Amino acid sequence: MIIGNVRIELEPRLSSPKWLYAAVPVGSLLFAFIVGGVFLALTGHSPIGTFSLLIDRGYTSTKGITNTLGTATPLICTGLAAAFAFRMNLFNIGEEGQMYLGMIGSAWAGIAIAGHLPGFAAVPVTLLFGALTGALWVLVPALLRAKLGTSEIVSSLLLNYVALNLVNYFIFGSRGFFRDPTTSFPQGRLIEESARLSSFGTTRTYPTVIIAVLLAIGLYWFMKRSNYGYETAVFADSPNTARYAGMSATRLTLSVLLFSGALAGLAGAMYVVGPAGKVDPGLLQIGLGYAGIVVAALARYNFVAVVLTAILFAGLREGGASLQISSNPVPISIAVVLQGAVLLFALGGEVFRRNRLRIRRVEQGVKAA
Amino acid sequence: MNSNVWILTFADAFSIATTLILATLGAILTERSGVINLGVEGILLMGAVTAFLVGDGTGNLWLALVLAVLVGVAMSAVHAVLAITLRANQIVAGLALVIFGNGLSQFIGKPVEGKTRPVSIEPLNLGPLSDIPVIGPIVFGHDIFTYLTWAGALVCSLYLNRTRPGLVLRATGDAPATVDAQGVSVARVRFVHTIIGGALMGLAGGWFMLARGTAWSQAATTNGIGWIALSLVVFAAWRPLRAIAGAVLFGFTLQVPFTLQGQQINILPPEIVQMLPYLATLFVLVMLSTPRARKLLGAPKMLGQPFVRDER
Repeated sequence: MIIGNVRIELEPRLSSPKWLYAAVPVGSLLFAFIVGGVFLALTGHSPIGTFSLLIDRGYTSTKGITNTLGTATPLICTGLAAAFAFRMNLFNIGEEGQMYLGMIGSAWAGIAIAGHLPGFAAVPVTLLFGALTGALWVLVPALLRAKLGTSEIVSSLLLNYVALNLVNYFIFGSRGFFRDPTTSFPQGRLIEESARLSSFGTTRTYPTVIIAVLLAIGLYWFMKRSNYGYETAVFADSPNTARYAGMSATRLTLSVLLFSGALAGLAGAMYVVGPAGKVDPGLLQIGLGYAGIVVAALARYNFVAVVLTAILFAGLREGGASLQISSNPVPISIAVVLQGAVLLFALGGEVFRRNRLRIRRVEQGVKAA
Repeated sequence: MNSNVWILTFADAFSIATTLILATLGAILTERSGVINLGVEGILLMGAVTAFLVGDGTGNLWLALVLAVLVGVAMSAVHAVLAITLRANQIVAGLALVIFGNGLSQFIGKPVEGKTRPVSIEPLNLGPLSDIPVIGPIVFGHDIFTYLTWAGALVCSLYLNRTRPGLVLRATGDAPATVDAQGVSVARVRFVHTIIGGALMGLAGGWFMLARGTAWSQAATTNGIGWIALSLVVFAAWRPLRAIAGAVLFGFTLQVPFTLQGQQINILPPEIVQMLPYLATLFVLVMLSTPRARKLLGAPKMLGQPFVRDER
């Protein structure tokens, strides 16, 4: 690109210095806070005051960080779901809906079969059903992509709206299986006590956070060491190479998308065995599925980094929520603004990590590219 | 049942189609240049909230729409910089726009949440034409933008197929290297069309708010119309005139749930009926995926691929 007599171009770096790997996310956060600060100032809120409150309520206070870890638990799962698919250039953006279905599936298992299981099996089976229904929800987009090559982006997204209405139907629109029959107030039927986990002490952090973190580490290790991980990496890099090497594109595409859906479903299941204990329309309000995509992109689809970015984002959410109840209430949507802005800056910043910005003078009269 | 109700439903379908056509034309122009902008939903929301706020503050309808367009320009410019200049992942950049627009529209719209719309785009008075039975209300009962939008689709179609810049645009989406070899800047063509596309999407959001929205509420405003517009691009096979037909069809599926609810027809629970537009869209996508249909469609070949001149 030429502006005046200056030529600006991007030149690929052969290797990125280590510090840049940290500088991009940190810089993105900083810039996002500046953007958020501008909008806060424009609406008559003090940026510094708001952000220091947000940081206190989201991260540094004991109550803040334990609330954050609680919210981060399903977010880690949706983040892993997005990372798992996106790193193979399969853009499953239906995590939101797959998570709702995970909630429905695990609640079904928690109500219908958990009571017949030995105590130790109730929670795992409930979680497993959530993962299964999550995977089932992505089956149609996955088959379309694998068999016919239909873009999975729009198809997986459209199903989010279907899933949302499905949850509303179960709770508000019908008096069926998932609705608590004992009250006229529309709410979900509680799952068996044996299928629920209690939180650590008086906090809102549940043991599922440990499962989520172990899952992230396990995935990282598995995708690095296994044949399957290698195959997906080759396929992501060059589908043609993978084909020549005899790998089946259909099998890889299907399995990656289904597993991604299962991880998103697990997020919903963790919400059920943990804080909710039922099909809870509250999950529809917090957008953990969409946020999972941001978390994954910010982590550059690295599974272990997903844990960190999920905690970061959950903190923004928790901190943002507490801002609503101050003397000069700030809408919670500031957290979503910050999330979007972080991602936009990270995308831009990523380019500067991979490339070097060269600014050169060009001689007058020489037509350069 | 009253046949008038169905006439009104069709009239509403044509009306909703205005937003869908505008957004789809925007997406078609963007995608024909080889850039995929998934941020439509975010731009629609921002256009809608901007039009509402400006209308609320100034009472000036035109200013409200102009600013909605400018917001669309600004957001698509962000996308253009990320996608074209910085060659970032276009899918993720578009999603980031959706998330950003979603959050920001809620944030700046908070003070006016639930307020009824301050200014309205009123239907034109076409005199005797509107009195023709059936066709009158369906075709001649709309505001100026609906007709301008139909004209816009025709202009887009002529532009793409009958003009030199249109040819360059199509070539940029299909074979950027050839365009580059002809000495035309691929980046410039893509920038210009991504931004024109964004302007149309901003207008789509602003129009929707001021012509059809009753009150500002983020949750109920666009409700996935942006994503439906993106499916419509495929449905229309990247051709502007087909977008009109598709938009009316999709507008109809979006309107039917309201008609059924209004008439207290309870063949299906409302939540299930609300799913239908999305399921119908998905069904259409499936139908379009058969190898035969795919051959007829002809998506821009380099859609979503950044252009890097091979210099080595």
